[in-house]
Amino acid sequence: MKTPAKPAIEETGDAMTRRRALSWLSGFGLFGSAIITVFSNLIFIKPRATYGQPNRFSIGRPDDFPSGARVSLDERRVCIVREGDKIAAISTTCTHLGCIVAVAETGFSCPCHGSHYDQDGNVTGGPAPKALPWFQVSLAPNGEVEVDKDTEIEAGSYLRV
Amino acid sequence: MSTRVTLAVVSFVVLIVHGIVFYDQFFNRWEKHQTAYFEQARSLAKTDAERHALDERSPRIEQIIVTQFGGSHVDRCTTCHIASDDPRFQGHAEPLTSHPYSAALGDVQNNGRWERRHKFTDFGCTICHDGQGRGLEVFDAHGADVFWPSPMLGYVTQANWHAEYKPKLTGKEYMQANCAQCHTEENFPGTALVQRGRQLFFEKACYGCHRIEGLSTGTLGPDLSDVGKKFKINYLWEHTVNPRAFQPTSFMPKFDLSDDEIKALTVFLKSRRGINFAETSLGQYRARLQQAKVEETSKPMASAAPSPARGEQLMGERSCTACHRLGDKDGHIAPDLSYEGLIRDEDWMMAHFREPKSKIPDSIMPVFGFADPDFRSISAYLKTRSASPALKTGEEIYKGLCSRCHGEKGDGKGVTYLYLDPAPRDLTKAAFMNSKTEDRFLQSLKSGVPGTSMPPWERLLTEDQRRAVLAYVFQTFVKEPRGQIKEHKVPEQNPIASNADSIHRGEDIFLQRCTGCHGRKADGKGPNSLDISPRPRNLRNSFFINNVPDKRLFDSILYGVQGTAMPSWIDYGLTQNDVGDLINFVRSLNSQKVSPPSEKSPTLTSQAVKQEVPCQSNAKCK
Amino acid sequence: MSNQTATSPWKSLVQLPENIWRSIFRNPLPSSDLGRASTSFTNFFLHLHPVKVHRNSLRAAFTLGLGLISFFLFMILVVTGILLMFYYVPSTTQAYDRMLDLRGTVAFGIFLRNMHRWSAHGMVAAVFLHMCRVFLTGSYKPPREFNWVLGVFLLLITLFLSFTGYLLPWDQLAFWAITVGTSIASYAPLIGKEVKFILLGDSTVGQEALLRFYVLHVAVLPALLSLLVAIHFWRIRKDGGLSRPEEEDALPAEAPMTSVEVVQGPAVVMATSPAAAAAAAPVLQKRQYGIQGLVRGPFTKVGNVPDRSVFAWPNLFMAELVVFLITVAGVLLVSLFFNAPLEEPVNVMHPPNPAKAPWYFLGLQEQVSYSAFWGGVGIPGIEVLLLLLVPYIDRKVTGVGRWFARERLLANFLFLTFVITNVILIIIGTFFRGPNWEFISPW
Repeated sequence: MKTPAKPAIEETGDAMTRRRALSWLSGFGLFGSAIITVFSNLIFIKPRATYGQPNRFSIGRPDDFPSGARVSLDERRVCIVREGDKIAAISTTCTHLGCIVAVAETGFSCPCHGSHYDQDGNVTGGPAPKALPWFQVSLAPNGEVEVDKDTEIEAGSYLRV
Repeated sequence: MSTRVTLAVVSFVVLIVHGIVFYDQFFNRWEKHQTAYFEQARSLAKTDAERHALDERSPRIEQIIVTQFGGSHVDRCTTCHIASDDPRFQGHAEPLTSHPYSAALGDVQNNGRWERRHKFTDFGCTICHDGQGRGLEVFDAHGADVFWPSPMLGYVTQANWHAEYKPKLTGKEYMQANCAQCHTEENFPGTALVQRGRQLFFEKACYGCHRIEGLSTGTLGPDLSDVGKKFKINYLWEHTVNPRAFQPTSFMPKFDLSDDEIKALTVFLKSRRGINFAETSLGQYRARLQQAKVEETSKPMASAAPSPARGEQLMGERSCTACHRLGDKDGHIAPDLSYEGLIRDEDWMMAHFREPKSKIPDSIMPVFGFADPDFRSISAYLKTRSASPALKTGEEIYKGLCSRCHGEKGDGKGVTYLYLDPAPRDLTKAAFMNSKTEDRFLQSLKSGVPGTSMPPWERLLTEDQRRAVLAYVFQTFVKEPRGQIKEHKVPEQNPIASNADSIHRGEDIFLQRCTGCHGRKADGKGPNSLDISPRPRNLRNSFFINNVPDKRLFDSILYGVQGTAMPSWIDYGLTQNDVGDLINFVRSLNSQKVSPPSEKSPTLTSQAVKQEVPCQSNAKCK
Repeated sequence: MSNQTATSPWKSLVQLPENIWRSIFRNPLPSSDLGRASTSFTNFFLHLHPVKVHRNSLRAAFTLGLGLISFFLFMILVVTGILLMFYYVPSTTQAYDRMLDLRGTVAFGIFLRNMHRWSAHGMVAAVFLHMCRVFLTGSYKPPREFNWVLGVFLLLITLFLSFTGYLLPWDQLAFWAITVGTSIASYAPLIGKEVKFILLGDSTVGQEALLRFYVLHVAVLPALLSLLVAIHFWRIRKDGGLSRPEEEDALPAEAPMTSVEVVQGPAVVMATSPAAAAAAAPVLQKRQYGIQGLVRGPFTKVGNVPDRSVFAWPNLFMAELVVFLITVAGVLLVSLFFNAPLEEPVNVMHPPNPAKAPWYFLGLQEQVSYSAFWGGVGIPGIEVLLLLLVPYIDRKVTGVGRWFARERLLANFLFLTFVITNVILIIIGTFFRGPNWEFISPW
């Protein structure tokens, strides 16, 4: 009884393995596709080009800013500071809740909740939790000054022009 | 089991496609360009800080958003052309090259350092170059896609452009069309081609038919004020070379233009975009006020006493010879004016100037709105040219006077034939020529054919000369021997009295039988008319119809016109009475006297035409 | 219960993944019929299906999977459509620019757009073919009349969805297709002009039309379609599953069925007392259950039919998965190789010659070129009306569930004439019409 049945069992065994293999293959395909889809969607959803102003921009030649100038570019939300042959860019976005701070004689002051900063952006009063960040300033090959708002640098580091 | 195999296979296909698409998203060409730029810039860098800054940077999409020229231009060109403003890359290979500096562009050198007049951060790239600022692949960005309306001017041609003209459509000078968007002043050195094109617009009498805001007021052709916005340069070029290339029904003449002239016109037309960047609507309004003032003040000057000298000057200034021939100047489009002073009298000329259609109803000559004294000066000048040509033999006369329209081969295809309506008679068609009496041809030669461009030669040619030229025509062109002309039995006068009933019957027959060729309006523009040569007669050409006796109409309708598409209607069951009604109907269309239009108002004529329609209450006529 | 309280926190931490899994999927992979039944029943997505389906419904040659393909294409459309909405702005000044951005800047943008475009075309085709299948197998006959009517409405909504989406790229192709399409609608008597005006929100296609089409396309019509699809599916079960030949249900003379053999019994029991069922699980394999007798309707053919049904798990679900994957693979492959068209930006002054409606309306446009009213409104109106009335006109319940049944020769002949005429008109309109709508040869 058993001898003739044996090949049948083996066949079913083979079929089972094949079935297993196929299942694994399908599962691999489906799972792989799903993972790629998830990652693709994450990449898709993150904008590669923005429609607002870029974070890296040119502000013109150093000569446009005379020594001692503190020019607030409200659209770009930076204040360009020039002292002698040194130039720097300080954020004008209040570290408290994101209002635009105004350039005052003593430094910066926020019109929304009354935060005060000194000329280097350090907090001197009000609810602001930390100092205004400084952005990296570099000299582009065409001789213009570029500000990169993506890169914060240590307060007090100037670009020599 | 087969289900499972399918499942495995298909899920694998899905995985592979996912993989391909995912992989494809990376390794963009622009990323390679940027990486290459960072490397090269690193080797060129002088300080550690610079090198450090370069190491920090990773490829990303660079863009310039320009809003000051109306709308929002997003130019991502600098994503690939990342070195465009880096002077160290002067002369490198594309795309990593620096945009050249040039004094002609207004760039200035300060202490050995160039400074751009048109900063890229202010102007972007597509303001000057055109192209598609948002594209990140060469094919899209440079505008080589046939669907993109503004490919890079002078650099890129699209695949479906005419192969013959493609090489002529490249060259930096095409960008002048964009320079002229801001630099609108005449004689600006950077826009020489635009300036030349503007001159040609007047020299070639384009202004007569076309309107351009602030420049001209022609109404016969399309308004070209914003033609540069609507069309690409290939269309402008090709349409100027051959007006029928895109629109087979265009009646714009084909002008004699050299390639350079076409290029100048193309650039000029491309620069016409309605409101230019530099011109606000307020600025335009002020300019119009200014122009109106100038026109007012210039009027008294124009009305200086008419004189032949002024006429000669005007004919030069206003470019009559862009179409017409006068002496040795010839536009190869319109009739010869050399003997116009002999052929026509002043009244005819003045009426024709004011409204060409008032004398030749299907003329394509535009209404030039010159002041009356100017027209008088021109008439006076033409009158001074009163010398008859010294032509003796029939052949000489034919070649000198007739071949311009009837063609050297007598086939009715002279240089002007495309622009004359009715077209010049094909003199080689023996069937026609030999079915009409000699008297009729002599009559046409003597008094011309009213309502057409065939002028009366009476005052130019003696009877003998006229006979000589006719003999020449028969001998050279018709060739076939002239047999006995078969006289058909037709009444001399229309026996059917013209009354409302008869006209109504005639109209019914006309609508049934004739509209296929002669058109529902009897203006000779029926649906079949385009396929017929010679074209069906315009039965609203009053000058012509009123000059044709009933006898000839009976003959033509009942027995057809040999050598044309007009069949012999007696074979199709029309009786003499039917034809009588038809004639009454056609005559009723032309019964109103065409008032000599003393005013140059085109609406007057259209009103007159409306009044002529006798069947306005008839439903069929609508 | 006592067992669980006794476990240490450590042990429950170890068991956490399994417990979470269990809490979501109450059934392990089934090895018994009861397991198969409860798998179908306890899973939200699977419980839309019957526990057992008739073998005939699984025959690929019978259904061709067209209904499923339509549904899956709709799913793809919903997903890709929502993703595209992240980058699309329904504004005449921005829409075309956003298309350019999708092509050039947005990661996977062009691919998603391709998928959306081709799925949309595919869905129109699949829904139409599905209708052909249903007709040619006589599956609209009682008791399935109303589901056929729903199906006709689904076809119309699908067409309208595709049509409203056609405008959104705001290129020449879109603008003039919509201009032509809405003009066809305006030939309807009395209401035509009003319908066009309401649809466009203006007398010509412009910003208002773009906004309206956008809202219809992303909110109104998909919601309506989803609702009708749900009813359509529900009705399939309530109408006794997919149609099948009468012979399939005929009682074999030598094997009479007892009244206790029931198709859906286990599920009902499961629903009422899962604990008891679970306790009895080992012996259940051979036991039969009686239905509670609560549900009336044409589907409860209990006890007097041969059981030619199989369990939905895994037979039906596997088949659905395969159809789903084939659909996805097809869309992916097409999207990989063919880009969705994007023509020139809208130029209101320059209609292309010829200006053509979307392909599925080109049959209409071709008819319109012969007679505006009859071609654009009269004939299509009558066609839709006839389609809706078909199951109420043709009520003889013979030849159901077989392709091209001999008894239905006349009906099938008439229907095929209708289909072929429309297909030919569409082919003529698409390939054989050139400038001025004159006859041209496409090669």
